[in-house]
Amino acid sequence: MPLEPTRHVERLRTWRGTLPVANRYTYGPAAERFFRALKDDARLLGTRCGRCGITYVPGRLFCERCFDELNEWTEVGPAGTVEAVTTVHWGPDGSRLERPVLLTLVRLDGADTVVFHYLGDVAPADVRIGLRVRPAFKPPEERTGSILDIVHFAPA
Amino acid sequence: MKERTAPLPATALTEADIAGGRVLSVQSRLRADYAWDAGLAIGRYLEGLQAGSILGVHCRRCRRTVVPPRAFCEQCFGPMDAFVPLADTGTVNTFSLCYVTWNVQRIEQPLIPAVIDLDGTSPRCGILHLLGGVRPDAVRVGLRVRAVWKPAGRRQGAITDIRYFQPVGRGS
Repeated sequence: MPLEPTRHVERLRTWRGTLPVANRYTYGPAAERFFRALKDDARLLGTRCGRCGITYVPGRLFCERCFDELNEWTEVGPAGTVEAVTTVHWGPDGSRLERPVLLTLVRLDGADTVVFHYLGDVAPADVRIGLRVRPAFKPPEERTGSILDIVHFAPA
Repeated sequence: MKERTAPLPATALTEADIAGGRVLSVQSRLRADYAWDAGLAIGRYLEGLQAGSILGVHCRRCRRTVVPPRAFCEQCFGPMDAFVPLADTGTVNTFSLCYVTWNVQRIEQPLIPAVIDLDGTSPRCGILHLLGGVRPDAVRVGLRVRAVWKPAGRRQGAITDIRYFQPVGRGS
């Protein structure tokens, strides 16, 4: 005969607790340089792999194809081309957004990779692949060294 | 070979580098709230502790009494048959003199975690608890011990409702 089931729900015990998880992320040498240039000068920097003929944006330390170390920094953009776009109707918490948000992959002029960002100042119906866009930078005093120092990309 | 033995390029950072903004950083604090449901067997165990009693469970088929309680016998995989009140006395099965805390702080007086075989239980089901009221160099495997309970009003249904185990015969 198994253990008698409890008839007293109030006796069932639950342990409650909170795990504090503090987290600090430093950017590392390459991203530090990219975001510093974005914050201080509103410039966008990539690194070039001469062997593979690829310019990575944001600049990174190693070529993802040949694993060579990358030292050649180069300014790209700020204008670029929409490579992909999606219209988002739902927020991270599953609630419907009041206004849909456009997310885009932009290939900055001179770059071979894309950056992920918001697309703004444009009606969803007017967006197409190949649209020429420019970044709208926050004013210098509001920039913190984040990709959101760019408010969004908007039609050039 | 020279490149292989050269030190890796690295950037050592201090608190001042981050506080002073010499390097960029992002910081966040996650609150991970959790609730762990004790279940039938451990739930009754904790309830028993609050009442000042240690409960085990008995498997009639294997003739085993084990603690802490579990819903199933891990030998025959059958359901356990009954809760059994146990004595709060037992024997030290193994112990450790621990001069560092869980978060690696050095301490002068050691904590003495021990596995205690409670009287009336089957072999190899001791419970882990602390020894107290005993000099570290007097602890031995085989030492007879008794639970020292928190006052009834301060028990909360936790294994820490037993403060520690101390040698039988010490004024408890």
